Amino acid sequence: MKRYIVRRLLSLVPVALGVASLTFALIHLIPGDPVIAMLGDNASNADIVGLRQRLGLDRPLWDQYAAFLYGLAHGDLGRSILTNEPVARLIAERFPATLELAIAGLAIAILIALPLGFAAGANPGRPIDLGAMSFAILGISIPHIYLGPLLMIVFSLDLGWLPLTGRGGLSHLVLPALTLGAALAAILARMLRQSLAAAGEADYIRTALAKGRSRLAALVHHGLRNAISPVVTLLGLQLGGLLTGTIVTEIIFSWPGLGRLLITAISARDYPLVEGCVLTFALTYVLVNLVTDLAYALIDPRVRIE
Amino acid sequence: MMPLLLSAVVGCRSGAGAPPSGYLQVDIDTSPLALDPRLGTDAMSSRVGELVFDALARVDEHQEFAGDLAASIERSAPTAIVFHLRPGLRFSDGRPLTARDIKYTYDSILAPGSLSPRAAMFSELAAIETPDSATVILKTHRPYAPALTLATVGVVPYGTPIVPHGAAPVGSGPFAVEAFARDDRVVLRRNPYRLAALGTPRGIVFKIVPDPTVRALELAEGVCDLVENLIQPDLLGYLQRRPALAIDRFPGTAYQYLAFNFRDPRLKDLRVRRAIAYALDRRAIVDHLFHRTARVANGMLAPENTYYFGGVTTYPYDPARADSLLDKAGYPRGASGWRALAFVYKTTPEGERLAEAFQAMLGRVGIRLRIRVNEFGAFYGDIQRGNFDLMSLQWVGISDPHQYRMVFDSRQTPPRGLNRGAYSNPAMDRLVETGDSTLDRAARRAIYRQVQRLAADDLPYVSLWWQDNVVVMDRGLEGFRPYPNGSLRSLADVSRGPRAHVERGP
Repeated sequence: MKRYIVRRLLSLVPVALGVASLTFALIHLIPGDPVIAMLGDNASNADIVGLRQRLGLDRPLWDQYAAFLYGLAHGDLGRSILTNEPVARLIAERFPATLELAIAGLAIAILIALPLGFAAGANPGRPIDLGAMSFAILGISIPHIYLGPLLMIVFSLDLGWLPLTGRGGLSHLVLPALTLGAALAAILARMLRQSLAAAGEADYIRTALAKGRSRLAALVHHGLRNAISPVVTLLGLQLGGLLTGTIVTEIIFSWPGLGRLLITAISARDYPLVEGCVLTFALTYVLVNLVTDLAYALIDPRVRIE
Repeated sequence: MMPLLLSAVVGCRSGAGAPPSGYLQVDIDTSPLALDPRLGTDAMSSRVGELVFDALARVDEHQEFAGDLAASIERSAPTAIVFHLRPGLRFSDGRPLTARDIKYTYDSILAPGSLSPRAAMFSELAAIETPDSATVILKTHRPYAPALTLATVGVVPYGTPIVPHGAAPVGSGPFAVEAFARDDRVVLRRNPYRLAALGTPRGIVFKIVPDPTVRALELAEGVCDLVENLIQPDLLGYLQRRPALAIDRFPGTAYQYLAFNFRDPRLKDLRVRRAIAYALDRRAIVDHLFHRTARVANGMLAPENTYYFGGVTTYPYDPARADSLLDKAGYPRGASGWRALAFVYKTTPEGERLAEAFQAMLGRVGIRLRIRVNEFGAFYGDIQRGNFDLMSLQWVGISDPHQYRMVFDSRQTPPRGLNRGAYSNPAMDRLVETGDSTLDRAARRAIYRQVQRLAADDLPYVSLWWQDNVVVMDRGLEGFRPYPNGSLRSLADVSRGPRAHVERGP
């Protein structure tokens, strides 16, 4: 297990290199100039040239790339063009907010998906199945940009239960997390329903029933454990979507996280900040997938990690 | 499960993020770029900055320059303006504000390598003299009519270095910066050294809310007190039905235009430009897309401006005339109804609906418009490089007709200036140069009458509309005075009458 974890952690190095190189290439390919974005229309040529020199943007691209990789190898993500602050510090300030939102979104997704998927999977073809899956389709279909304001109108404006925007206590977290987690909840619920319905037909359930266990007890004790593995696999795959979903959710709810920082950085062509944010998102995704893989071994005794 | 979770959370609904008692909350869409007035030239930096920093002069509610730190202003010579400072001026940390601070502010902008985008604005400035601690003289290289525009920079204390995106310097305005969390909020508190009327706000929280629908919802819920010009017109009806809110509209000076790229030989043909102007039903766009929150424009200067001249050629919606002009220009309709004219229109996601309206209207006269949507950085890069056929943008805060020189002088093409369509007409160049150096107001007005007539005849821009200033605010707020340029300076003087908000308990 230890060797496996070390091997997977080592694989982060080429992943980081690949993501960093691709991001570097893409952000430099798209049109736009950070110096003009900073100095504005009225800037003199001398100021433009001066700032470009100061920021090192006058150097050949390969030279900038080499400097970027050198910095990265030394754990230095550079300084933001926009704010002149270390990129690592800016990311460290914002990442907890995004992580908090993503974890809350994940928790809400699981909290919704488990009972919904179980109820549907344990009663395939019945009205409860139809109702749960219709709800799930709704969850997948409604985009964040629509669901967020809808939840705000109901829970903040009409009921007055929850605050509209911003980051504060637990109450501030509910609506953005619900917005973020709704689609994932729907996807997970559908997968759980499918695999539980299939498990319900399996021999080991029939055996349990023959031994006198109720159908509910058989499904909970035997069916669910078998049915949950594909759900965990899917969860790992969908976490990327959850992370990128934070970008839209953060904008809707004025949540001061990494997603908003990334959007600001892209608009200002703040190259080091864009590279740092994308790298953080990518490495988080890879790490979360590693945790998901490790979770298989805990959930399913047939899986052995070597 | 969900109701249980919700009730648990609602039970601990926190007040985190709510403005402190006695503070106003104003929602804005983006973070100010910099809170140092020498660095921040974007709209939000200006809006927030003018509440924190005083300048020698500023544009008042009537679009005229008036003294701010200066009690009186006199032109002692064609190249010199004298500012006599008000007595007893102080910064918000208690330091006295004198002519030395003002000179330092300008010197720090003009210092080599200062990185201030304002440095280029001051190319006409020859010297700043301070004969005593209460007098400042701005001297220009030549007689320069718009010299007072040089006097609108916020003043910082002597010795304050320009640090890109560092902490906000101290100012002498009605408020001081208490906190700035980028992408979250800017908090201002009262300047203790400035008198404030009873009942006026103790501070202002500028909250950054990027989503326009959410800004409307914050107003509806009563967490936000005021939003200016950042509510989509189609949401105004929804807010109008809220008894706790008041919606006021005031004539604004923000000018929307359609620019042509004169590098394209087809667009150098005046008949094609005029045909496009006649093909656009601006009234319909104002009525339906903007819900009548704009006035159809006939030039860059709004009627409120003292230099405005209305007797210019206008282009009412007339597709038949557009058809005829295009036929004469050598672009007859083909069998399919289209002409051999296709233009690329560059815009941002926010401008997409307008682009589609243009596309439909030009389609009616047989012109194909290909819309290219990019996020602002890429769009702006294209505009700077002249990589467009048609594009539409807005000039905000025009107070002096000097703007005509900035955008229509043939020597002002990017990267040096704002003539992005590379328009060139020697007659226009001569007029705008003379306009800059003519100090006599009546003579200057006559020059700009000619400029406005020529701009309307020659059509480097199609004038579209002047955007109204639309303020949605808590009905209980009293004393808000609108500025045509959208300034929020009067927030310092508002007071809260009987509170109209629906109070919500935890």
